[in-house]
Amino acid sequence: MSFGADWYAVGLSEGLEAGTSAGARLFDQEIVVWRDTDGVTHAWEDRCPHRGMRLSFGFVRGNHITCLYHGWQYDAAGQCRLIPAHPELKVPDTIRTTAYPCRERFGMVWVYSDLAAAAPSDLPPEVPQVTPVRSIYIDRTATAVVAFLTAADLPPFPAATAARPTLAGSGSLLSLSFGGDALLAAVQPVGRAKTALHLAMSGRPQDWRGAGQKDVARWAQELRHALEQQAPYDGAPVAQALHDQIPQEQTRQEITP
Amino acid sequence: MSGLTLHDYELDDACYKVRLLLGALDLNYAKVAVDVHPGREQLSPKYLKLNPLGSLPILVDGEVLLHGAEAILAYLAQAHDPNKAWLPREPAGFGAVMMWLGFAGGELRSASLARMHHMLEVDADAAALDRQSRQAFRVMDDHMTQREFDGRAWFAAEHPTIADIALFPAIALSRDFGIDHDEYPALRRWMRRVRAIPGFVTMPGIPSYH
Repeated sequence: MSFGADWYAVGLSEGLEAGTSAGARLFDQEIVVWRDTDGVTHAWEDRCPHRGMRLSFGFVRGNHITCLYHGWQYDAAGQCRLIPAHPELKVPDTIRTTAYPCRERFGMVWVYSDLAAAAPSDLPPEVPQVTPVRSIYIDRTATAVVAFLTAADLPPFPAATAARPTLAGSGSLLSLSFGGDALLAAVQPVGRAKTALHLAMSGRPQDWRGAGQKDVARWAQELRHALEQQAPYDGAPVAQALHDQIPQEQTRQEITP
Repeated sequence: MSGLTLHDYELDDACYKVRLLLGALDLNYAKVAVDVHPGREQLSPKYLKLNPLGSLPILVDGEVLLHGAEAILAYLAQAHDPNKAWLPREPAGFGAVMMWLGFAGGELRSASLARMHHMLEVDADAAALDRQSRQAFRVMDDHMTQREFDGRAWFAAEHPTIADIALFPAIALSRDFGIDHDEYPALRRWMRRVRAIPGFVTMPGIPSYH
């Protein structure tokens, strides 16, 4: 399995409360993911256009995100609306952040990794009943994580008393099915030797809320432990080609408060 | 009425633990600024008389003289918390708080040292401290992930305790030594709750969200 321009989960929906932001990395690109007070999620390049400060260090007030550095405020469309050092200034339209396509599905926040793509293909269709579990970060490449899920002796899954779960995958979303239920595992290639798995259970919520979530979360810790016991995977860096394609340059403005 | 004196260094995360609890308990106290950097005043004969370990914080409360953040937190909770909530008396809660206090003064010390190394050029094995700090934060995030499934918001009880106070500075300041919060979503949510504790105070590196 290789990873290219695609949709990737960067966190669980439930974990991103309204009016808060979080930093995320995808192929080593820094992204700020935030939810406005209307509940809409946004994913932007994690740079204030002014001085390059990470916006995820700032804070969300109303439907604006405010840079910690000089308080520049950006609206939900990424347009800078206020420069506190020049409160009278009508901020030029050119001062805006760069947004990634962003969706919510399967109880997760998804980001399309390629800023140059005009019309990304859509995510797989929603499933009706999803219980979020947790995000877990593993110090191994995404390739190694997927190879382990596919081939290795997985820690015994809490609910799968009988047969080994069957694995299916589409893009960065893997599904481990057993009986009628499935563990959804979304793979986020964070950086060269770091991968996040965002985990949710499809099935009746009453079967998975509470004790079920705790069991699956502990299973994920065992999985992380087993993977990190392995020698680091020494294959090609994950999607290095894609990483090199993503534009690196900043568009910083020359206005200085 | 309070005769509390804290010998304090503004950039020291251990001193910050004490300032956090003093704020949460709404206690008046005198703050004596110690010239740790560059003066190394905490190692002067005057300060070694107060604390032979040559470290801060040091608390004086009348006849009581204490050093070490965790001991001071426990003392303040015992002596100055009329609601007896910050250090639960009930055995299971008390045990959980003591366990996390031990962790805060033990494993989590790597994070304090990593920060001192980055900020004040204190000599250290930076790679080892980074690894140990990440391991400690992971233990904390795994714990709070499980707590959230039980509908619990705090490390050791149904309400904030001195365990939460003792654990907060290391992760809240982790960007000072190059560790982002991205990998610790449960800690990100918990830190937000800590910031909302009445009487919460900031320090350099922990901004007030104005």
